Formats: sequence, C-alpha cells, structure tokens
Amino acid sequence: MTSFRKWYPNLAVVAHVQVGQDEGVVVQREVTSKGKLPGEHGDRVRGPHFRGGRKVQCSFQGREYDDPARRQRPRGSPGPEHLVHFEDNIVDVSVNNIRSQDGSWQRRFDPYSWANQRGDWRFDRERRGAGDYAGGGRTKDSWYKMTIPYGKKYNKKWLLTALQNKCSVPFKPVHYQTEGHKAQFYLEDAFTAHALVRASRQITDSEGYKVLVLMNPCPPPSILNTELKPQDTAWLKQCMAKRFDSSQRTLDLNQLRSDPDLVSQNVCPILSRKIFMDAVVKIIEENIPELVHLNLSNNKLYQLDSLADLITSAPHLKALNLSHNQLKTEKVLDRLKGLKLVDLWLEHNPLCDQFKDQPSYISAVRERFPQLVKLDGYDLPLPIVFDVVATSTIPPCKGSYFGSEEIMFLILHFLQQYFSVYDSGDRQPLLNAYHDGATFSLSQPSSQSLSRCLLREYHKDSRNLKHLKDPSTRFRLLKHTRLNVVALLNKLPKTQHDIASFNIDVNTHTSMLLSFTVSGVFKEVEGAFQDGVRAFSRVFIAVPAGNSGLCIVNDQLFVRIATMEEICSAFATPAPTPSSSLVPALSTPKQEMLSTFSLKSGMNLEWSQKCLQDNNWDFNIAAQIFTQLKAEGKIPDVAFIKCLKNACC
Amino acid sequence: DSTGKGLLDFRSHVDASCRYSEEFTNIYYDCMDKKRRTLTRLYLDKATLVWNGNAVSGQAALGEFFESLPSSEFSVQTLDCQPVHELATQGQTTLLVVTAGQVKFDGHKQRYFNQNFLLTAQASPTSDQPVWKIASDCFRFQDWSS
Repeated sequence: MTSFRKWYPNLAVVAHVQVGQDEGVVVQREVTSKGKLPGEHGDRVRGPHFRGGRKVQCSFQGREYDDPARRQRPRGSPGPEHLVHFEDNIVDVSVNNIRSQDGSWQRRFDPYSWANQRGDWRFDRERRGAGDYAGGGRTKDSWYKMTIPYGKKYNKKWLLTALQNKCSVPFKPVHYQTEGHKAQFYLEDAFTAHALVRASRQITDSEGYKVLVLMNPCPPPSILNTELKPQDTAWLKQCMAKRFDSSQRTLDLNQLRSDPDLVSQNVCPILSRKIFMDAVVKIIEENIPELVHLNLSNNKLYQLDSLADLITSAPHLKALNLSHNQLKTEKVLDRLKGLKLVDLWLEHNPLCDQFKDQPSYISAVRERFPQLVKLDGYDLPLPIVFDVVATSTIPPCKGSYFGSEEIMFLILHFLQQYFSVYDSGDRQPLLNAYHDGATFSLSQPSSQSLSRCLLREYHKDSRNLKHLKDPSTRFRLLKHTRLNVVALLNKLPKTQHDIASFNIDVNTHTSMLLSFTVSGVFKEVEGAFQDGVRAFSRVFIAVPAGNSGLCIVNDQLFVRIATMEEICSAFATPAPTPSSSLVPALSTPKQEMLSTFSLKSGMNLEWSQKCLQDNNWDFNIAAQIFTQLKAEGKIPDVAFIKCLKNACC
Repeated sequence: DSTGKGLLDFRSHVDASCRYSEEFTNIYYDCMDKKRRTLTRLYLDKATLVWNGNAVSGQAALGEFFESLPSSEFSVQTLDCQPVHELATQGQTTLLVVTAGQVKFDGHKQRYFNQNFLLTAQASPTSDQPVWKIASDCFRFQDWSS
C-alpha cells in the first residue's frame, strides 16, 4: 500500500481492521488530509457522497506477480479486483479483493506474527474481540483460510494433490469450496498453513499460469459450528414472533441487533453472519412460510447468500426491505433471483451509488425482479411483457401398443407360453422358442450400488457397452446360438412373472419380422432375494414360425430393481386364467368341450383350445389329429405345461 | 444360414456393431438435445416410433412430434446392441440398439427411460458409403404410469 503514500503525501491513514462474517479480514482505511486523525466512532465516518460513480484503478506497481487476470487485461483497464471507490476523503478497500504475493499482505494483519512492520499504519486492536462475536467463544483467529485465486477452474483432486506435492507438511483441507473464481479451504494449524503458502507459485497449471496460494487468519469456519445454541434459537424465535404481524404477514427485523429482549438475554443476532441469518430463515421456513413482507433494514448486511433459501421457503414473499445495509454491488441481488418481489427497498446501500442515474439503477434491479412495481417507495412504470407460448408438454403416456388385434393375440399367446416355461423352474424347453442362430444379451443399470447388490446374480453376464470396452468380453457376453442362449437363461435366477403387469409395444411388423418390447415385473422365487420384485424391459425380435407361432432371433433383456409403486401394484390381482384373459370368451358348450379335451389330451387349456380351433371345434377330428401328432412327436413339451399360477389349468 | 458365414465373420460383425451403436447413440442423443429440428434426418421415411404408447409414423408426423416435445437433456447410462439375424431382415444389415438412462424434459421432473432402435443400413444417394437409418424406435419412461 505504499503507493497510496506516493500519491498522497499529506494524508494520514487509519486502518480499522474488522473481522467480517466468519472468515477473512476486512480493512477499512480512513484517509484524511493534513495528517489529522478522525475521532473514534462506533462506525465508519461517511463524508458526503461522491456520486457519479467514478472508479479509479489502483496500480500496484511495486507488486509483481503472475496474475492470469493481469495477463489478459491490458494495463489501465479496470478489473473488478482493482476497483477502489473514492468517497470524497474516504478510501475503502476490501483486503480480500487484493491479491498479493504469497499472502504476505494478509499476514500483516495477523497480530501474532507481525510486530514491527506497522510503518504508518495504526492497527486498532480494540476493534477486535468482544463486540462482534456472539455465541460460543470464537474470539480468536485460530484458523487459516487458504485461497487459490482462479482455483474454481481446477479439478479439486488435481489441485490438492499438486499442492500437497509442493507442501512439506501433510495438510487436510476443511470445507473445500469455490466462491466466484476462487477455490478455498480452511486449515487449523498455523505451521501447516504457513508451509502451504510456500507452495504458492510453485505449481504451473495446464494453461501456463502459476497457481497462487493466499493465507488469511480467520476464526474457526462456521461449517464447524453451523447452528446456534438451542436457547439462542429459542430466544430468537420468540423475538421474531413478537415482531411478526400475522394480519399483514409482515416480519420486521429492522435493527435486530438492538432488540431489547435479545440484548437482555445476551443474544447478539448479527444478521450479517451466516449462522444468524440461516437461523432466521429456518425459523421463517418452519413457522411463517406464509410471509409476505420482510424488513431487514439496518442490519449491516453485505451479502444475501442465506436469504436465497427464502425463494423456496417463503414463496409468498412479495415485499423486502434491505435499506440501510452494506450491500456493495448489484450482484448480491442475483442470489435472490427467483423471489417474486413486487416491492423492494434498497436505498442507503453502497450499491445505490454505483449507478450513473436513476434509470440504470431501476433497470438493474428490475433485471433481477421483473415483476417489481415499487422501488424505494417509488412507483415504477409497469413492465411490458411478452406473451410467449408456454413450453410444450409431454404427450400423455399410454399403455400397450399393438398396432392390430391380430398381432396382439399372436404376441399374448406367445408370451403366455414363453413365460410359463420361463417361470417353471426349467428353461430348457425354451430351446423350441429360439432360432438356431439366435442371440441374447442382458444389461442392468450401471453404478447404482443398491442395484448392484440386489442384481448381483445378473451382474457377471451384464453387457453394458458404456462401461465395457474390451472387444473380447463384449463378444463373449453376447450369447449366440440357441444352445448358448438357453444355457445362460437357465443359469439366471428363478422367477415368477406378473403377466398382468406386462406392457407391450410393437415397434415393427413386416412379413418376416416382428419386433416388440415387453416391460413388466417379476419376483425372485428363491435364493437370497426371495420375493424381491424386479422390473424388466425386454426386446424380442421374432420371425414367423409354423402353426402361427413365433421364433425368436434376437432377445435383449434389461433388469432393474422395481420402484415402490411397481412393487405395490405388482401381483395385486390374481393372475387370470390364460383362456379368460387372452382369448375372447367362449360359449359354454365350447368351454365344456375345452376342459374335456384338455383333460383327455393332457395338454393345457391354451394348446387344447388351439387344437380345437384349428379343427373347427370338432372334438373327434381334433382328437385324431392330436393323437397323430403326438405319435409323430410333433407336439412341443410346452403344450403340456400347466400354468403354475392357476390350479384349474 | 448364419453358421455358414463362419465364426470370424460373426465376430467382426459383432465388433463393428458395438462401435456403430456407440457412435449412433452419441449422435442421436446429441441431436435430440441440441439440434432437435434435424433429428428426423436420422429416420427412414417410413420409420415408426412408439413413444410411451403413442404411435408416430412417417417423416412428417415424426417431425411434428419431436417439435412438440420440450427441450431435453438425456443421459445414457446403459447401452447394448445386437446384430439382427438376417432371416428377419431379408439380408438387409440391421442393428438392434438398446439404451437406458435418465432424461429431463424442460418443465418436467427427471425420469428414467428405456429405449431401443432398429437401425438399418441404406444406400445413400449422395455417397458411396451406406448410411444408418432408424427403421423403428421404441421409447418408454420406466415409471410411465406415475
């Protein structure tokens, strides 16, 4: 800061060092001419405002450092970090915004390590301690906040590893987070912090910039102490209740700090501190979510991060008073974007002075709150809106799509038979359902630990090309030829499918190809996960096979755990008998013929009906045909498998 | 008869299928999310789509349908594919591509989905190389009834 001295030799500067919020150091310097020092005030001295929004860049010529920002910007053009705001005879510079070499700048204000470098500065030690702290004894700056400017762009793991490599002492970063372009974290131990700072500019990133490490003494980060003591919360709540007008749904927290009730209980609700503001917002959320008006004036607020939660917890909030606070730039308002404010007070905040004129001020505020009609008590002209067509909606979801009734019967018939065998305990007969050159593969959702556990029987045969890259494994997991297909199917866990739950989509139907997707649920019937409900989506591609059947050429199965809704609705109704669910109702004489035929032939109702139908419901002819085919071995085993679910088969 | 082709042929067919399916999924979902208007180019003229039980067929209808869907953000987490047996396709090279993952349509909650495509190789009017086209597309939310 010696450059100030160079420019203004007749000025004396008094530095007030305050510990702002929970971390970092804010330095306020009062500059007066003729070497006179201002008297002690409870607050900063504010002279007449220098409106017009002039911004002057401070060039730190004495400080050469590898600043990526500097490299990109030509000298003379102001960047946000270098803005110094002149307000007549007061210079206010926030130390946190000044990047310096090796953090030595910040170190100056560590009372424990800096004794002799005062120079022209008066370090007002009385500013520290008592006054601004509340609750659990956090009066010492015993921690260190480490900041990596522009660290946000780095991969966290890379950055921490690189730093550790250059740091002689192992360190454990606490509460790593990014804020704006910076990455930051906390260290408890002074020795470690100092060692880490020495790694500054020792690392070069992939773009060629040097990584800076800055250090700032600070109180223990609030992450360790995220909540108020219960009794403080209770007092705060009581106080807020008193200040809440339920008829108007107004909460007045103006100058909360000096509320006599709280003061008498030794609660110092400094709303500019995250811990208090968070508590207030939580109390609002839990007790008065119907809040419409909120007054937060005169609370020394300089950021609105905690208030962002109000967007969801107080959805009816329409009026907000933030006047007489310390909000410095319009950017703080971005945090509240989403609040449907109609009435806002912002006057007497430093940010107001940053605008050239009234219209730009209004415009900037309206950008965040387009529905605003009152600002600082003045009515604003109503905004003009666009009648934009609302975003399109998704078409309603429907059940099975077959395309035609004929296909529907064909597929249902097929699936009935298929899953009878599939659920029977021996899947070997399925050989008859597959073509010689058929292929089968299965997959399951990736990387969800619960599904990995519950679906572990499927895991080793699971083929997910997203994760599986080795061509040999990819090939091996695709089962080719029906022998291999059925061999795998036989190894998969035994199941019971809920055919009633099936949803079938037919996507292609040509003379040679029928492709359909079946989705539904099944239960595991034995093993570690007995009765576990699973959901599946299975694609079948089939070619026509003799006697109006299907022959599978491709089969792909996707298995996942069922959702709660699926589990609840699964197996809810008893499975219907095959004949009643799939085939149009038969007349009574036909039904009798059917049961007799089934009894005599030993075939299930399904196949019995088919035989009868094919022979025009002539019992004798059907019986002859049956006997003949049976003798020739032309009747598949499937025909004799009775449905397990229903005893009357 | 596929066994006549030899195992080596089948193997290289499978390898190629895997690569094609990966490339296809990248292109398709990128198009779906970012260049929705060009999506129908990936479909055959007479392609069919069954979308949560809604059947859509032909370029014009497909175009209208995709236009009507809100903007999307797809995340494909599972991918599998199989070459389709030539018996079903009468010699036309066809691929079955099966995907699963999550999708967020603008204005709606994020959902899990299952999708499968039949891709078929077509001669291109503009180049020597054949082009993959979607012959059919079947899409469903996993929890479609909720």
